[in-house]
Amino acid sequence: MAENDDASLIGYDPLAWLQHAEAARPAASWPLPGTEAEASSQDANQEWVEQTDTSEQADDDGWVNDDATAHAWAADDPAPAPTSQQSLSISLATVQNMQAVAQLYQRLLSALNETDHIDIDASAVNQIDTSTLQLLLVFKRTAIKQNKRVSIDFPSERFIEAASLLGLSQLLAVDHAAAGFF
Amino acid sequence: MKPRIVAVLNQKGGVGKTTTCVNLAHALAKLGKPVTVIDLDPQHHLAVALGEVAVDRSGIDAVMLGERSLQEQMLSVRPCLSLVVAGPRLQAIEQLSEGGSHRGDLLRRGLAACPWLDQAVVLIDCPPSSGILVANALFAVDELLVPMTSDFMALQGLSHLMGTLKKFEQVLAKNYRTTLVMSRYISNRRLSEDVLTTIKKYFPNQVLRTLIRETALLAECPSFGKTIFEYRPGCRSAQDFASLAVDFIEGRVM
Repeated sequence: MAENDDASLIGYDPLAWLQHAEAARPAASWPLPGTEAEASSQDANQEWVEQTDTSEQADDDGWVNDDATAHAWAADDPAPAPTSQQSLSISLATVQNMQAVAQLYQRLLSALNETDHIDIDASAVNQIDTSTLQLLLVFKRTAIKQNKRVSIDFPSERFIEAASLLGLSQLLAVDHAAAGFF
Repeated sequence: MKPRIVAVLNQKGGVGKTTTCVNLAHALAKLGKPVTVIDLDPQHHLAVALGEVAVDRSGIDAVMLGERSLQEQMLSVRPCLSLVVAGPRLQAIEQLSEGGSHRGDLLRRGLAACPWLDQAVVLIDCPPSSGILVANALFAVDELLVPMTSDFMALQGLSHLMGTLKKFEQVLAKNYRTTLVMSRYISNRRLSEDVLTTIKKYFPNQVLRTLIRETALLAECPSFGKTIFEYRPGCRSAQDFASLAVDFIEGRVM
């Protein structure tokens, strides 16, 4: 908590974050195609696929059992480190499909381990498939169980349409265009 | 020439948005600057403060719904000063749940279609909320005027507002020209000075030079439908707003 000096009548300075806002912004972390980072990401992708294959327990309505999928998240991080209370922002790519979902999973997992407040910027999304939406849903539920906050900000019309089509708008809190603005 | 279109904005209530809007607008008009004020608050306070109490008259609501042009909705309320009232359906627009992201673009389209003629300044009095109407204002303008009171909760509210503005700037790829005005300032209170010092630290060269001091007269005049220049011309508050108008035009900051 940022505090002013003893002489000031303002104890906690609510504007202090303005000075740190730029420093807190995460560097671009999407690995470029063909790089070592991408290769390691693909290894991780395989791990994620295996985990979901073994842990998925579909309910009658076809949704993955929460506890099982939450376990999959937790299994990647058996001993979570202390996390920051500062928010971390992740931007979704223009095309979010099966090819990109594992990479996104890694970024979300990393964010979950780093901070208690994650903003997902969905403004650029032009195309999104069910695997990504399912990932986001499980991520959000997992975060809530860990008392962390996830908000999907500035959803594009495509994002809202897709979420609405699958009946996920309210669960993902993207049921209005101004989501994330406030 | 396109006028300066400025949203008078702060999601915290009681910071003096409407008081600033009404009296700054009249001060500018008295300087010969043609001003239009738009009441974007479904509570109609701006219109009432200017003596327009007909709450069923259509206004900016019809413009946002594409039914009327802004020019059609302008009422001449004082020399050089026009008013666009809120209209009875503005509250419904605030609660719109359909229309996708177009819901945020209703005001911008209405303003873009207006030729403006000789208008120099347009002030948009925003509601004390964080919904569709404020989103519309933020889509529509490039310039913001943020009234601030000199207390801690106002600082907390300003922190939240800046978070919101940064999100808009990021998504809309623009940087708002933001100025602040110290409203309801209590000069003999040390906390006021500390709040002002804090604000100047984070917003250097963005706080308008004149402090609008707290007075009973400013609280009294809306019930008579008068601005401070009509209610008590020459009083301390009238002098403050006359000075603020010059700050606003000339960019005088502290």
